[in-house]
Amino acid sequence: MFSKPVPADSLYLAWAAAVFPLAAFGIIMIFLRRLPKAAAGVSLSAIAVSLVCAVCLLARHWHLEMPLESTVQWMASSDFEIPVGVLIDGLSLLMLVIVSGIAFLVQLYSIGYMAGDPGYARYFGFMSLFAWAMTSLVLAPNILQLFIFWELVGLSSYLLIGFWYEKLSASQAGKKAFVMTRAGDTLFFCGWLILLVWGGTVSILDLNHSAHSLSQAMVTASALLVFGGIAGKSAQFPLMTWLPDAMEGPAPVSALLHSATMVAAGVFLLGRLFPFFSQSDAAMTVCLFIGFVSMLLSATMAMVSRDIKQVWAYSTVSQLGFMIMALGAGGYAAGIFHLTTHAGFKALLFLCAGMLIHACETNDMFEIGQAGGRRMKLTVLCMTIGALALSGIWPFSGFFSKEEIMAALAAANSPVWYIGGLAGVFLTAYYSFRLIFVILLPGSTKAHGPGSQSGPEHARAVMHAVLVILAVITLVMGFFAESLQNLLTGQGVNAPGVHGPFPAKVVSPVLAIAGIVVAWLEFGRKDSARIGFAGRISPVARLFGQRWYLDHAYGWLVGRILDRGIAEGCQQNENRVIEKILHTVAGSVTACGRAAAGWHRAMIQSKLMVVFAVVFGLTLILLAA
Amino acid sequence: MELHAAQFPFLSTLLLFCIASLGLVLVLPKNSNTAVKWVSAVCSGATLALALFLFAAYDRELGGMQFVEQYRWIPALGISCIHGIDGFAAPMLLLTGIVFFTGVLTMWHLKHRVKEFFALFILLVTGVYGMFMALDLFFIFVWFDVSLLPMYLLIVIWGSTLREYGAMKLTLYLLFGSALILPGIVYLVSVSGLDTFSLPALAQKGVFSGFEQKVAFFLFYVGFGILAGVWPFHTWSPPGHVAAPTAVSMLHAGVLMKIGAFGILRVGMFLCPQGWVHWAPLMAVLATIGIVYGALVGLRQTDLKFVIGYSSVSHMGIVGLGFATMTVDGINGAVFQMFAHGVMTALFFSAVGHFYDQTHTRQIGELGGLCRVMPVAGSYFILAALAGIGVPCLASFWAELLVFIGAFRVYPVLAIISLGVLVINALFILRVVEKTCFGPMAVHWAHLQDVTFGMAIPRAVLAAAIVIFGLMPFLMYEVIQTATIPLINGLNSLAGQTAADSINTLLSQWMSRLP
Amino acid sequence: MIVPYTHVMLLGGVLFLLGMICTLTRRNLIMIILGLEIMLNAAAITFVGAGLHLQQIEGQAIALFILAVAAAEVSVGLALVVCIYRQTGTVDPQCIEGNKCQLKPDQTG
Repeated sequence: MFSKPVPADSLYLAWAAAVFPLAAFGIIMIFLRRLPKAAAGVSLSAIAVSLVCAVCLLARHWHLEMPLESTVQWMASSDFEIPVGVLIDGLSLLMLVIVSGIAFLVQLYSIGYMAGDPGYARYFGFMSLFAWAMTSLVLAPNILQLFIFWELVGLSSYLLIGFWYEKLSASQAGKKAFVMTRAGDTLFFCGWLILLVWGGTVSILDLNHSAHSLSQAMVTASALLVFGGIAGKSAQFPLMTWLPDAMEGPAPVSALLHSATMVAAGVFLLGRLFPFFSQSDAAMTVCLFIGFVSMLLSATMAMVSRDIKQVWAYSTVSQLGFMIMALGAGGYAAGIFHLTTHAGFKALLFLCAGMLIHACETNDMFEIGQAGGRRMKLTVLCMTIGALALSGIWPFSGFFSKEEIMAALAAANSPVWYIGGLAGVFLTAYYSFRLIFVILLPGSTKAHGPGSQSGPEHARAVMHAVLVILAVITLVMGFFAESLQNLLTGQGVNAPGVHGPFPAKVVSPVLAIAGIVVAWLEFGRKDSARIGFAGRISPVARLFGQRWYLDHAYGWLVGRILDRGIAEGCQQNENRVIEKILHTVAGSVTACGRAAAGWHRAMIQSKLMVVFAVVFGLTLILLAA
Repeated sequence: MELHAAQFPFLSTLLLFCIASLGLVLVLPKNSNTAVKWVSAVCSGATLALALFLFAAYDRELGGMQFVEQYRWIPALGISCIHGIDGFAAPMLLLTGIVFFTGVLTMWHLKHRVKEFFALFILLVTGVYGMFMALDLFFIFVWFDVSLLPMYLLIVIWGSTLREYGAMKLTLYLLFGSALILPGIVYLVSVSGLDTFSLPALAQKGVFSGFEQKVAFFLFYVGFGILAGVWPFHTWSPPGHVAAPTAVSMLHAGVLMKIGAFGILRVGMFLCPQGWVHWAPLMAVLATIGIVYGALVGLRQTDLKFVIGYSSVSHMGIVGLGFATMTVDGINGAVFQMFAHGVMTALFFSAVGHFYDQTHTRQIGELGGLCRVMPVAGSYFILAALAGIGVPCLASFWAELLVFIGAFRVYPVLAIISLGVLVINALFILRVVEKTCFGPMAVHWAHLQDVTFGMAIPRAVLAAAIVIFGLMPFLMYEVIQTATIPLINGLNSLAGQTAADSINTLLSQWMSRLP
Repeated sequence: MIVPYTHVMLLGGVLFLLGMICTLTRRNLIMIILGLEIMLNAAAITFVGAGLHLQQIEGQAIALFILAVAAAEVSVGLALVVCIYRQTGTVDPQCIEGNKCQLKPDQTG
């Protein structure tokens, strides 16, 4: 009723986009674990097929009147059916292209980046697993299918963060990521169970179109619970600290999963259920608020971090906060557009960071600067392009999407959001260019350049080519804003474009430039102290550096309350109460037995006496009866 | 209950095959270890094939009891020998076949008293097979006890840590359980006035009054529930796991605990539906406590097998919760969980068994980085762990999903509490994975051996079962459903309302009694 | 019947009681066996008396059985006592049961 069936050839394309990476995963894990080259080839060809399918689908359905949906029943349990299928509309097509495109580029880059790693085949296997899960996630026509693949991308994230499993910190980071997102996912699970059991449907289109027929309380409750899952996956406050730790994984993994695609799944879900969420003002306000808090908190954390990948990780959280704020303020197209541009430039930034880390063998930006990271000219140039886009400078893609977000925020119900957004814009520009200036204009450099560049020459060329492609995308993407908006809002989803007041168009770029200037004053000038304004006040620096003590809170919660509190209590109950009762029962049985045995322990004649006494007693009883 | 007679006595063949193999093992000369192992392997392989055939050949359209065989046994006492499988028993037979086969292969390197071990092992499995296919209360009880007693010897002779204590505790607990089941059976048979032990005859409507059903169901619930690890009667299970040798742990957690749940299902729910409705809220509460409690205690364990033992308590709680929902979804999920947990935990124990054989320790603190020296064993361990935390596309996910959906309809609060455990489960299982498989490896473990190709076979079979039924859950559900739907329909027609409504009525009655 | 039935029964009862007291109180194995014999004979007298009273032959038959059993029992019992005495040098049951007595060194093993 809200959709038309998918034409057969498009259906095959969509299935192919999802299933090829799965096949690659299976083949690699079963047959190709000892054949790294073949594994890389299989994985890359699978994702290339996905990309081609995705582009064909996009081209074919560029002008879509109505969402297309096809499902088959996968499993039934009388009251309840589990359908799987595909839903094709602007959002899923756009996401499909982003996911397969970035995944393809990142895998291409990984050929060089991961060269010589003992787990090369395993790496490509997990990458294929992720590609399968993520493509299926974006195509999901109902929340159940979405949830299944939502968990599976979490799984591949766990496996890839802990890819270098011999590093304890890496496997711990993987565990932290899984458990923290699991906490959110459990809320998500509750949320859709409410919809399924009391609302009667989990189909995304049904929910979006008939949310108003459900009771307001139910919509709010389930929307808030679903938002829990979004907060977990998109690393929003308070479930945000797993993402910086996830940087223990290889740099391409960070680029693909932890900036461009997987963490954006939360925003995608919010966009997917946007009309449903819009039914509840409370839920929308919570979105705005959580996005706002995460955006500012993580921006402050990025200001003091020295680890290059962590800065981009905090920045990812911050930008995801921007997107969620945009959606919360009603700017559907703005949020999704920012997701699109962000996927491009953040992947670029991470891949550049990977090049630098590989060459200088350190994650510390000051050390990279001193080791002469700026001599890698192409890398640094691309990184600067990415940072400009991130800060929102014309003509890079970030400018256009951020403008739309600011417009949406300006139109929101309270000026707080807009002012907070402006602060965010300033901080974003500041921390990005702090990093750029530290690397580009270090005080002193060592005589020799960065260490030997990894991999053979052609691999490096491929890596550079990937950087250039992403940089070009970053440069031109902004000019497609109009057509992307048409794609997104053309059908079904009814989200009016928001146009803010005129000053919004000027204020935020000015603030961004101000941020860059401050960063230059503090880190770029010849005789600057190279300490940021936040770093000068040590309690503030400590607060930011310790991530607002969020990790301490979680450590306390898990270590003290859960582990040594409740769990220990249960353990004590097990040992002291249940076992005690058990041993008391067993002891009393033994004691009874011992007492009875006492009759038979004396001299033979006493035993005989007992026998006689009992026989006499019984005889008397029988006679009396 | 519809009975469909068998064209060929497959079930008796299965049972006789086990008994014949047992006899063959017993008459083999004492030192012929290889021959004993081959006989056991052939026996287990053949029964697995037969169980697979029965699972595949079970007619999904027809439903009811199929492959039914009936023989006179002691007509004077009303005891007959009836075999048959329905949608609940078919997956359980398959599970038994898989765990039996993989268990025998896992113990291939056994050197100590080989003949006795495999003889007892086959005897144990014979009891389990018999229990799953028997349709006569007398035989159900006999097979139940046959499957319990070899356990004691298997643990005491071939076990490890605290084996006398673990074995004795296990045996006493389980015999206490059967001491409750026997009165229950005798009570039902005597009050029925039908002078028969035959389950299909007793399961007809109106044989038992409501009161009789309540009494008997309680006896069965506690008696079988002890074996199913129902809180607070679970404390035999973790020490038993720890004490038992690898294959016995696999069988213990994989199949034996399922016998308990299956007993509740087959005897309790089929015979005493009103008792079931009456006690369902209690079952739900105890199951929820078990789910939460098992996970929490698991968080504090330092021995690998204790961790898995307590996670089993938690997972079997999910089965109990599914039973208590009295909905099709809940029961479907619970029976699937019995299968999924059986396969998953067997894989878990076989991986841990390999770690223990190589390192001679199971203390989590002493292990670490094992993936580096034994990537294959480590991978299977991780797969089992992922199945244990309910990752989608592995079998347990579908089971838990349906149980939670069912529970959410009937007991929303309990369902939400149990859902919270998903996080704790992930926390403690991943912590164990991290501390055993990941991280830096101690130098003195550089010489450890990975599993050989032959020893990887049983693990691969288990892993394949997890993945196949995880990707294609409908293979399992279409079988289970054939038994669930008639059961629930019977229940609803009995009460004149659906389970959820009856629970609500019950709850409101209880609430009105409160001051 | 010359002797009244009650008297026979009384005789059996008294004999049984005397045998029982002997068995329970004496500290000598030979005397204990003697007490057992007296109890058996008391039972035999009761059977004969009852058989006469009820005019049934089984009473006398069982008395014969009792005699045979008593003979067998006393021979085995006395043999055991001799054996025990040879091994331990005592016939005190308390001493034997508690293993309090010294085994004769040449008889051990």
